[in-house]
Amino acid sequence: MRRALVLALLLAGVRLILPLGAQGQGGEVLVAFGLLILGAYTVGEIASAVRLPKIVGYLVAGLIFGPSVLGAVSAQSVQRLQPVSQLAVSVIAFLAGAELRWRDVRVDGPALLKIMATELAVGFVALFGTIVALRGSLPLLAHEPPAGVLAFALLFASIAIVHSPAVTLALLTETGARGPVARTVLGVVLLADVAVVLLFSAALPIARALVPPVAAPQSVSVFWEIGGAILIGAVLGGGVASYLRFIGKELVLFAVLIAFFGVQIAELAHVELLLTMLTAGFVTENLSRHGDKLRHAMERSAAPIFVVFFALSGAHIEVASVVPLLPFVLPIAAVRAAAIWVGTRLGAGWAGTPPAVRRVVWMGLISQAGVAIGLASVVATAYGEAGRRLQVLLLSLIAVNETIGPVLFRRALQAGGELTPEGRRVRGRAVAAH
Amino acid sequence: MNAALVLIILIAGAYLAAHVASGWLARRFLIVSGAEYLLLGILLGPHVSRLITPGVVGSFAAFMTLALGWVGAVVGAQFYVPDVIRIRGLYYRVAFVEAILVFVLVSAAMAGIFSWFFGLPVTNVAQPALALGAIAVGSAPSGIGIVTERVGRPPIVQLLQVATAIDAVVAIVAFGLLVSIMHAPPAGVVRAPTPTEWAVISIGIGLVGGALFHLFLGEERSGDRLFIALAGAIILASGAAAYLRLSPLLPTMLIGMVLVNTSRNRDAIRQVLSKVERPLYFVLLIFAGTAWTPAPREWILPAVAFIVVRAAAQLGAAYASAEAAGVRKLLGAGWGRALLGQGGLAIAIALNYRIDANSFLANIVFSSAIASVLLTDVLSARVVASVVEAYRKRVAVRLPGRRDRGAGTGVGSGTGGSADAGAGTAGDTGADAGARSGAGGAQETP
Repeated sequence: MRRALVLALLLAGVRLILPLGAQGQGGEVLVAFGLLILGAYTVGEIASAVRLPKIVGYLVAGLIFGPSVLGAVSAQSVQRLQPVSQLAVSVIAFLAGAELRWRDVRVDGPALLKIMATELAVGFVALFGTIVALRGSLPLLAHEPPAGVLAFALLFASIAIVHSPAVTLALLTETGARGPVARTVLGVVLLADVAVVLLFSAALPIARALVPPVAAPQSVSVFWEIGGAILIGAVLGGGVASYLRFIGKELVLFAVLIAFFGVQIAELAHVELLLTMLTAGFVTENLSRHGDKLRHAMERSAAPIFVVFFALSGAHIEVASVVPLLPFVLPIAAVRAAAIWVGTRLGAGWAGTPPAVRRVVWMGLISQAGVAIGLASVVATAYGEAGRRLQVLLLSLIAVNETIGPVLFRRALQAGGELTPEGRRVRGRAVAAH
Repeated sequence: MNAALVLIILIAGAYLAAHVASGWLARRFLIVSGAEYLLLGILLGPHVSRLITPGVVGSFAAFMTLALGWVGAVVGAQFYVPDVIRIRGLYYRVAFVEAILVFVLVSAAMAGIFSWFFGLPVTNVAQPALALGAIAVGSAPSGIGIVTERVGRPPIVQLLQVATAIDAVVAIVAFGLLVSIMHAPPAGVVRAPTPTEWAVISIGIGLVGGALFHLFLGEERSGDRLFIALAGAIILASGAAAYLRLSPLLPTMLIGMVLVNTSRNRDAIRQVLSKVERPLYFVLLIFAGTAWTPAPREWILPAVAFIVVRAAAQLGAAYASAEAAGVRKLLGAGWGRALLGQGGLAIAIALNYRIDANSFLANIVFSSAIASVLLTDVLSARVVASVVEAYRKRVAVRLPGRRDRGAGTGVGSGTGGSADAGAGTAGDTGADAGARSGAGGAQETP
């Protein structure tokens, strides 16, 4: 409460000085950034006090301070802070990769693949069917010919099935959970991330054949985007492992630099950032005996990065666009959740996963964030006005899933007994055993 | 090659070099590192290799402003009042007189030189002359930090630590007030604030912001959460100052002072501040180098004049202040040599002046500061060592049979920065080397 009051006073102070200021020296961006950090910190603490995940607080703070509600952070400032979001994605992906041990991958990989494949297949079919069924009511598709309906339903379904490694990892970092539920969710989310990029890359040419795009999307071979990411990530991971072996100092700063480096190199080489850093994290963790030191350093620097990332994600939510679409988005979100539930039950049953995990793992797969937003903007670029309408629908769905997803995942961890001190000790022993 | 990628590689390389090579150089040869990053920035900048374009430099303006704000907060965090009042008043008298004399002498001399050189009335060149006066006051504590590692903290080192800390405050306050006084009226307001009002706003951001951030931080002791909150506070204050076209250094210095004096978790605050200080400092130096745009030749004479005038003013002011306090014979006539080294703070003020659109002769002021840092920074530790050595010899002659062991008069504070006392980087803007004069030397305090 005290912090909220101070924040209100700071906001009033900023409003007071606004007429006296001028653009330049990055002042306006820093004011926006500072308010966003302090706001997210405050609302995150409030969320924690009412037993909600902090990241929900960060999102809500971004929404409140963002252009849609208070406007303390302008749309222009949000845009200019985009590199910070990319940096956050880079750190998150590296951390996610560093969570994977080769031994675990070999043991759990087949089971995770089964769950992921079933869940994605069911989700894709269900979402595709829902959009086709809703074609008469959705403003986006009301006047589209059948080929257009199929094309947009295909694109929508291939993006709407995406999960969020960022939310998953942020919540695992916040709670410290690393039990079977946490590991299964993380594994499925990471595998799905690669699969979805492949799926989207296959869906886009089909959609283009059905409805020619107004602008050709960036033509980078999907094989390079994925293969190159793995190659560059592996080289980067090797470099990081060498640094840890021969120098091993100032790891927090080094971690931030690696994240920056990853963003730049992925952009230059036109490879998938998430996969690049995921591979780098994985190689570092499994190649170096000191990988855990860097992981701990990254986890230490991850807390502020999560604050910024999710606050910016919240600031991106356009309330004015989301609210009118809620009558469509909420049923679609319900269908998606039901499909994930069915898909994971079937997949987990096929893989022989313990019933305790099988029951709750779906709750960890509801969240959506960065990857889906990125893919939605590809569609918007390719299909002009129609693409932008599809993007708004997707962003509305993402906003809903981004908000309820962390709450559900936390409940899953709670149900799995992984939020108790005892659960964390089990996790600690498991980590130590590796 | 992508300029941002070049910058990242450079910063990483620079940082590693600082750790591996410079630490060794500092310990073995008393050579301070820091100026090389400045040089590197110049070489990569738009005027030499053009690897980093003006567009890239401009796109990092927010980062530069943040670095300035952080420098201010680090300087302010040295001044924990209970520690400050434990140090002998004599030290402050000497340090204040020396700092103010340097400011006045350099400002006056540079006003005359600019007026003669550019054929302008003195009133027209007052702004750059006063800016150079403020820059001249700033002394680098890094050389003192290195010497402290070798000889401990005899009274002369304590005095030098106090002097660099006071120099930093005087420099920041003088520059902050200068920016307020010379402030251009903002567009679209019914009545533009007067210079006094700008100064009050600048100080108000610091004091009111400090009080609010004190309430905001509360008793937070978790390192991560404290970092988030503190970073948010400094970012907001720096941004507000920059948005108003004021110097971020003064408000954030006041915030640093308020926070360390009102919060129970002051040690944790200092730790967080000093943790980010060094990397930010390297970034600041590289950016400063890239931001350098010399006017053809016309900067050379003012820069040389500034270096000469500053050296003379520093030596003269130190002599006069010691004479006035009655300790000149003990300190030696040339003790001011130890304050000749310039580093992070001088660059921060110069960069602040450089990026302010309202600045007159900005490139010349900036070039002069860069030249001064390049010339004085590298060997500052050696000069400090020679001053300390001369002092120890004098003390040994005056008090035969006693050795200056560098421990324990109890006049110091002992709580200063939490970082180590500068392993050879000029990046220390003072958190560590500054007011931390926790242990004294022998009883022969000046």
